[in-house]
Amino acid sequence: MISEEFEFRAPTKLAEALSLLERYGDDAKILAGGMSLVPMMTLGLVRPKTVISFNHITDLNFVIDAKDVIRIGAMTRHDTVAHHDLIKKHLPLLATAAVGIGDVQVRHRGTIGGSLAHADPAADYPPVMLVAGAQFRIQSAKGDRMVKAAEFFTGLMQTAVGAGEVLSEIHVPKLPAGAGSAYLRLHRVEGSFPIVNAAAVIEKGFKSARVAIGGVGESAVMIDVTKHLSKGVSDQSLRAISDAAYDASGDAYGDLNGDTEYRRAMARVYAQRVIKAAAAQIR
Amino acid sequence: MKYIGKEIVGLPTRQLVAGKGQYVSDVILDGMLHMAIVRSPYAHARIKSIDTKPAEAVPGVVYVITGKEVIENMRPIMEAYDTAAMDAKSVKCYALCPERVRYVGEAVAAVVAEDKYTARLAADLVEVDYEELPVVFDAEEAMKPGAPLVEPDWDSNVMVTRDFIRGDLDKAFAEADGTFSGTINTQRYTGAAIEPRGYVATYDPYQDMLTMWASTQNPHPMRVFLAETLGIPETSIRVIQPHVGGGFGLKIPTFQEEPLIAYLARKLARPIKWIEERQENLLVGGHARQNRLHYDVAYKKDGSVIGFRAKVIADVGAPAALCGWGQSFVTSYCIPTCYKIPNCRVQLFTVVTNKCPWNAYRGYGKEAASFLMDRVMDGVAKATGVDRAEVRLKNFIQPEEFPYSQVSGAMIDSGNYPKALNRVLEMVGYKDFPKLQADARKQGRCIGLGIGQELTPEGCSMPKSTLLSGYDGCTVRVNPSGQVTVLTGVTSPGSGNETGIAQIVADTLGVDVKLIRVIQGDTDTCPYGLGNYSSRSIIMGGAAAQVAGTDIREKMFKVAAKMLEVAPADIDSEDGKIYVKGAPSRYVLFKDVASTVYRDCYGKFASDVEPGLEATRYFRHPNVYHQPEVDGRFSSYPSWPNGVSACVVEVDPETGIVKLLRYCAVHDAGVLINPLLAQANLHGGIIQGLGGAMFENLVYDEAGQLKTASFLDYTIPTAVDCPSLEVEHQETRSPFNPLGCKGVGESGVTAPLGAICSAVENALGHLKLNFDEMPLTPDRVWQEIRHAQQQA
Ligand SMILES: Cc1cc2nc3c(=O)[nH]c(=O)nc-3n(C[C@H](O)[C@H](O)[C@H](O)COP(=O)(O)OP(=O)(O)OC[C@H]3O[C@@H](n4cnc5c(N)ncnc54)[C@H](O)[C@@H]3O)c2cc1C
Repeated sequence: MISEEFEFRAPTKLAEALSLLERYGDDAKILAGGMSLVPMMTLGLVRPKTVISFNHITDLNFVIDAKDVIRIGAMTRHDTVAHHDLIKKHLPLLATAAVGIGDVQVRHRGTIGGSLAHADPAADYPPVMLVAGAQFRIQSAKGDRMVKAAEFFTGLMQTAVGAGEVLSEIHVPKLPAGAGSAYLRLHRVEGSFPIVNAAAVIEKGFKSARVAIGGVGESAVMIDVTKHLSKGVSDQSLRAISDAAYDASGDAYGDLNGDTEYRRAMARVYAQRVIKAAAAQIR
Repeated sequence: MKYIGKEIVGLPTRQLVAGKGQYVSDVILDGMLHMAIVRSPYAHARIKSIDTKPAEAVPGVVYVITGKEVIENMRPIMEAYDTAAMDAKSVKCYALCPERVRYVGEAVAAVVAEDKYTARLAADLVEVDYEELPVVFDAEEAMKPGAPLVEPDWDSNVMVTRDFIRGDLDKAFAEADGTFSGTINTQRYTGAAIEPRGYVATYDPYQDMLTMWASTQNPHPMRVFLAETLGIPETSIRVIQPHVGGGFGLKIPTFQEEPLIAYLARKLARPIKWIEERQENLLVGGHARQNRLHYDVAYKKDGSVIGFRAKVIADVGAPAALCGWGQSFVTSYCIPTCYKIPNCRVQLFTVVTNKCPWNAYRGYGKEAASFLMDRVMDGVAKATGVDRAEVRLKNFIQPEEFPYSQVSGAMIDSGNYPKALNRVLEMVGYKDFPKLQADARKQGRCIGLGIGQELTPEGCSMPKSTLLSGYDGCTVRVNPSGQVTVLTGVTSPGSGNETGIAQIVADTLGVDVKLIRVIQGDTDTCPYGLGNYSSRSIIMGGAAAQVAGTDIREKMFKVAAKMLEVAPADIDSEDGKIYVKGAPSRYVLFKDVASTVYRDCYGKFASDVEPGLEATRYFRHPNVYHQPEVDGRFSSYPSWPNGVSACVVEVDPETGIVKLLRYCAVHDAGVLINPLLAQANLHGGIIQGLGGAMFENLVYDEAGQLKTASFLDYTIPTAVDCPSLEVEHQETRSPFNPLGCKGVGESGVTAPLGAICSAVENALGHLKLNFDEMPLTPDRVWQEIRHAQQQA
């Protein structure tokens, strides 16, 4: 139960929201889908004085084809990400990631912006953002900047979004023609967070290959595996990739779903599997 | 029989599916206040002082109460399971702890406020000064000399023991072809009902009447407990059970919040509501299951078990007034379940620790006994090379050997275990499975088949007990216009027994089931009865309904016989007609007979029967016996439903993920009144069992804090995670129950434990794994695999 009173604001324009944020500073929390914020408030983990709902800001809810990139508004719901034709066509791995988030209710409420800003270490989106080379538009009353995925996730549930700032849109480059991609997650039951997840993009002809793994550190880790795949997929290359994944997950945490050792072992398994799956998609 | 045995959709289904059920949360009264509980943050501590002032200062707060006021005004909470009758140690537990808390979450104070948010906010401001005391969290640690005592007045943490012996164990172990030993750990888990606990209490000082709406399974016993604990007459209390969103045993009284809210409503003379939050429910809503089971087996080369020793160590958490600890007794009572072992010893140690007290949970200890025996039978198969099914068939009590007395004295009524096992093996394709498995292996897939046997005695009836004494009552009332009102002492937590009871009465009277309205769960209108537990609602409540219905039928037949000018023995009834046997065109309408009794009691047809058409009758089960002082016999469970499951899993050896591919079950609960609802119970039970086998776990840290107090960490499976379940029923009538029923409410929950373990081991046969601990989460399965690979 949320027992403390808080002020509730529901602006309809982003500009209005940004000026509210500037005014309230750290005392305010943005409410997007509320699928992480509300449980945190219920458990008393965060106690904002003001909650600023973004749910009435219609111009943050869009998926647009912008030449080389797909622009996705921060308030786009997981369900839209999962089923949008543009995303399915140009970023199938992103659609796959969204389909597996939580359950039907969570997917209809939760937003891509909220999930990325929340930056759970095992969330579904971050590995996809890393391998796809996404850029994040961060706005405040004073500024408007773009941040690369690699610089966006800065630590455990921490991002480049600073005080008074919001994540307003995500620009995800379309996959290069013929590239193969895949997204996989390891979980207990339907509706539960991944224990470990992995995304990969391999360019046609193995010109470049990246794999990113979540659930094995404070934030998802990305590995450039181009050199391992210069001669294509083989037992040997997969072994090298799996070793690289193991090395990259040295900071893996342990919890009730798996200790450090298990997560690192799963980093190996999922790195291999996601590369194999992505390679099979190369056209 | 027009209705008994038919699949009829549950009577309240439409209302519930429409979202129009009335739960405690839907009870909203004028001027209603809300209660919030202050809970102990420590696993064991002395309460040095409590400062309620900061809470009282919050606007909207009406009252703050602590244990001091409670002990001055209330008695200790009356025990739901009488410890003295079971030679167990007891404690005085109060609605709020006066001086010492013994587990995290135990209630120490409460705030009543105008709204629930204010109540919660103010409760968080109550300042309690604690002095931490030594703690003990592991049952075997708690048994060691010098261990911290959960109850300083006790000489040890062992609450009760039992020791059942039959035959000559030394001889059996000496004569065996082989022996082995092992230890099994069943984890702590709970039922996670969709609706947590909740109560609304209101008091009318002019009538001196306390009315309590409770999400409970047992309104009448709750009234007794409240009366005793509050020291007020039973007649000044009315308990009403609205719809209940799942009970599973966990909504059996006696929780601290029950007398607490009742006391506060009387004191403040205003309605008060308390609806438990999910975190509270996982923290203090009753835990169950945590056992360590040590065993030694002596077997012959042919797979027969000739000697068996089991030591049950049950970690029941802190002692409380709840009936949960009794589960440990039932575990020891059931071993060695379906098997005939000539030399057998079962020891029980029920041990208290600084964790949440047990409350009853579907299975009530039977699941641990069956799981143990499944592991033992699989162990014998591995040791001898005799097939797993063969080992079971060899050791079963045979159909002609019933009633069979187990080592504990338990009298198993009837059954046909070999038939059920053979059928489930057929369903799952046991014979051909090795080929399927080999083919899968060639494709790099590890599939495995497992068998799980379950024996779930039902109708628990204990001596000297308010809650468990083992009978029930029913009123059948035919109204002047011919419709029928049935009032029962049993209640439904959503499982559908009201529908079964309507079917029984409809057949007894020969009327359309639609003419019957069943009323349950109100101490002012329903006959005294014990409510819902131990699958008793049909075997006790249904039987009582049949007895009461038969009284009315006989009375109406007497009148009808006169109207038809034949002897009562020559008539029968069906479809609302009372007719002459062999000449169905000669009939009177059921409703006309009712009308005659009500409207013409001095007339020529009804003048020799008593006016009115109402009978209240009680049913006592023939297979219960409570007079050991007379002939040494003691039988507390009258009926013994049983079942067997076979499942197929696929294990991903790289990740440890276990995927359930098929689940087949054959279940024998005797006669089924409503196979549809029996099936629904089986489905729910099996999925709960799968939860225990694969996911659910209440984990405490070293400080006694529950790490799994939300559904983020407490994993339960849903329909999406289960394949379509294949369930068949076998009918071995109960020789004692007049309906032939054995009870189905706890069925299905047990066999998945053994079946899943067995299947995972079978899938990874090459690694020779041994699962002796649940749940089989991916990380655990992976660890076992890796461990085995490293050994190899
Ligand atoms: C039952 C359940 C299951 C779930 N399962 C999964 C799962 O399997 N995988 C997964 O990835 N996630 C899962 N989630 C989390 C879900 O995806 C959330 O939707 C997501 O984490 C947060 O998105 P939201 O829109 O709900 O944000 P909110 O909860 O509203 O906000 C989350 C945080 O981000 C901040 N915030 C929101 N929007 C912005 C913005 N535009 N700019 C800056 N800060 C912002 C908020 O202030 C808050 O601190 C689950 C949640 C639930 C309740």
